[in-house]
Amino acid sequence: MVSGAGGLANGSDTHSDTHLDTWATPSEGGQSEVLVRATGMRKHFDGVEVLHGVDLELRSGQVHALLGENGAGKSTIINLLSGRLRPDGGQIEVYGAPVEFRNPLAARRAGISVIAQELELVPTLSIVENVFLGVEPTRHWLIRWADARRTVVTVLEELGVNAKPDQIVGSMSIADQQLVEIAKAIVGQFRVLIMDEPTSALNLSDTQRLFKIVRRLRATGVAILYVSHRLWEVFDLADRITVLRDGQRILSTGIAEIDVDGVIRAMLGSKSSLMGMAARPSRATVPAAPTAPPALALDAVQSGEVLHDISLSVHAGQVIGLAGVLGSGRTELVEAIYGLRRIDAGTVRLNGKAVELREPKEALRHGAFLLPEDRKLEGIFGHFDVRENVILSFDPSAKKVRKSSESGGSETATLQRRRSGLTPIHLQTERKAFETMRKALGIRCSRPEDRITALSGGNQQKALFARAALSHPNVLLLSEPTRGVDVGAKEEIYSAIDRFAEQGIAVLVSSSELSELLRLSAHIYVLRAGRIVAQVSAEGTSEGDILKLMAG
Amino acid sequence: MAMPGAIKRMLAAESAAALLALIAVFVIFSAINERFLSTLNIDGIVVSASISAITGLGMTLIIAMRGLDLSVGSIMGFAAIAAAELLSHGVPLWLVIVSGLAVGVGLGLCNGLLIILLRLPSFVATLATLSMILGGELLITHGETVTIHSALFSRIVISNIGGCVPAAAVIAILVFVLIWLIFHRTPFGRHVVAIGGDIRAAVGAGINIRRVTVGAFILVGVCAALSGLMTGAELQNADSTIGAGAELTAIAVVVVGGTSLVGGRGNLFGTVCASLLLASIQAGLNVANVSSLYEDLVFGSILIVALMVDGLRRGTRRRGMLVV
Ligand SMILES: Nc1ncnc2c1ncn2[C@@H]1O[C@H](COP(=O)(O)OP(=O)(O)OP(=O)(O)O)[C@@H](O)[C@H]1O
Ligand SMILES: [Mg+2]
Repeated sequence: MVSGAGGLANGSDTHSDTHLDTWATPSEGGQSEVLVRATGMRKHFDGVEVLHGVDLELRSGQVHALLGENGAGKSTIINLLSGRLRPDGGQIEVYGAPVEFRNPLAARRAGISVIAQELELVPTLSIVENVFLGVEPTRHWLIRWADARRTVVTVLEELGVNAKPDQIVGSMSIADQQLVEIAKAIVGQFRVLIMDEPTSALNLSDTQRLFKIVRRLRATGVAILYVSHRLWEVFDLADRITVLRDGQRILSTGIAEIDVDGVIRAMLGSKSSLMGMAARPSRATVPAAPTAPPALALDAVQSGEVLHDISLSVHAGQVIGLAGVLGSGRTELVEAIYGLRRIDAGTVRLNGKAVELREPKEALRHGAFLLPEDRKLEGIFGHFDVRENVILSFDPSAKKVRKSSESGGSETATLQRRRSGLTPIHLQTERKAFETMRKALGIRCSRPEDRITALSGGNQQKALFARAALSHPNVLLLSEPTRGVDVGAKEEIYSAIDRFAEQGIAVLVSSSELSELLRLSAHIYVLRAGRIVAQVSAEGTSEGDILKLMAG
Repeated sequence: MAMPGAIKRMLAAESAAALLALIAVFVIFSAINERFLSTLNIDGIVVSASISAITGLGMTLIIAMRGLDLSVGSIMGFAAIAAAELLSHGVPLWLVIVSGLAVGVGLGLCNGLLIILLRLPSFVATLATLSMILGGELLITHGETVTIHSALFSRIVISNIGGCVPAAAVIAILVFVLIWLIFHRTPFGRHVVAIGGDIRAAVGAGINIRRVTVGAFILVGVCAALSGLMTGAELQNADSTIGAGAELTAIAVVVVGGTSLVGGRGNLFGTVCASLLLASIQAGLNVANVSSLYEDLVFGSILIVALMVDGLRRGTRRRGMLVV
């Protein structure tokens, strides 16, 4: 039902341009027919060239992985291939004919289907309306909603989304939204499927379901371009690998001719010598001040139908992990602690004091800070520039006051350290703080005055992380802290988290990447169906052990 | 935050508020003065509600697209004046009506083109055209009133079909059905909502933003022109006061009807209910001998309440995202 070679759009009278119908037998002409050939692609933004003449070839029946650090230019070349941006140089050929896509519609008409890195869904529309947005099947001008729904039900089932086609997209979890985004790309007809980090919000089982679909599409002769920072995925799925570095193609080779180390070396270039030097720190399993109450403690917390009887504690200087499949309550737990979700029963204590958090600002006042899972919706301020986004919660006086409050300071001192709305902004101090963070995390932007939306996805994530760091929290809540971040920068973020812990900050990390949890945390709480089912020490535990606990 | 479930559900059923208020208004005013329920009064309510609903339905699309059209009132006036002038020159009635609607198409097209070519926010562009169209009206009429002598023209709007249903209501129902189909069942309608909901997603889905924008402004232009023609037919004359302030009424009926000003959704049925509500209140104040000087105060308060409800509703929705 759902495939590149046939789908609902077949026979509908909206966009059935005649050339689309000739795709009924996609594999004719051999398995490795070149469907898209881009040569010498160039693109610059405000005078800064970010793609310096890149070549890329997509062949029918092949999964082509595109790799590179954050900001290497992966999404940019995808934007050129999908008509979202126009190239400043170079030539795109589709099925051997040169094309110039003036807009996304043109690319879609030419059979190129794209999953963009940032979700492109209309939150107020339903699943079926989003999936068919722009390609609605019609008869006599009217949309055939019944047909559309039927198709969507099949696709959702295949993707493992448990939702009705009429559900409003804005009410779904971020992972489910990502799956709707994927559904959108794989209904209808296409011969080229471009996927920009489709799995960055997905857990393992969702990912595996997606891979099954990708493999089936490959077998029907679809050409697939796949971008991911998870190298194991790439080696699992890809037939061919191209690595970009600083807007240049470093290598392009068959998967059999290269290994993980080779790929990392190609991605990082001269920086690769730094890799692996960051020794795994000895984890602070013993809290810094064992007698002090935990910085964050939950006792029998219950929230609606999603969280039941949650008790946990994080001491100052500890990093604690949260594991669980989608729907296990992992994300919801972090939201509840941050005041984004109602807590119906149980108590939350911050620094030993029972608090009632109804809104994030109250959590902030008590020194808790959340790095949200959905950066587009809850994290970035699209109209602000990079620096403004980073220093948003920065309070230069915070550090000093914290010291004084530690040496016997009272609760009021902690309250006062929040900058009031009228405190003058110290531009100089802010600039310095920003520069420090930018260097430490390697945030790549041509100018601090660039809008944050001009940054590559991974760099936006780093910027948000920098904001969290600059807010000088007592308790840091991290939800998928390295979503879309490249291998090198991941290590930077990990060591930054280690440093936070050393400074005495209590960190709670929720992540779908088990290796990340094992790398970072002393203990891991495993959630299943809204309950904590196990608490394991990271030492001597394998990913497999946790997976088993998560699955129950 | 612990809002009782009943209230929550009522807020969620977007048109219910306007419908309930409508019933309350009927009960209250008929208690004050039984003349409120007289056929004459009810007919008056239905005709004036029909006229404001038609423009309101068009405006619902614009607001769902996260835009505003401030020129609808002036388009009403222009269409009525154009029709009156043509009738006085002996042009046949069908051609007059077609031309009147064509005025709406033309002015809507101008609005749309201004917005997409100059990349202006819609309320700025239509504020400019509002003033230009008014100027045009004054040039044509020299500030005088043009009498409409066609009895048939008036009858099309004010006669009672089958002795009880005002013709205006039939026209409004037809327009409602047509716009409902366009809004919910055609790609164009869904694209309007998509643009209002998330323009980046709309662009990514390959929607031609410019074409949809122009289309929506043409549609609201035609709706306004139709309302203008009907007003002229009802009054049997036309001058530049026709449609004065109608843009505010149109926005009010959309918002009171439960369509949020932030775009991304539209509630056509609510718009119709709210048109009836505002028309009933107006007639009720009249019947209750409240000076018409208070009308604007009352309408303003209703608008504030509606906006408050919208804010509350959006609040629960945002929470709902996390709580449910
Ligand atoms: N609209 C824009 N304006 C200015 N600069 C931009 C814009 N879009 C991208 N860039 C810059 O182009 C470079 C390449 O970005 P791109 O999004 O292609 O990276 P990427 O390889 O996809 O990275 P990631 O893995 O983080 O998604 C980055 O330095 C980015 O800052
Ligand atoms: Mg990218």
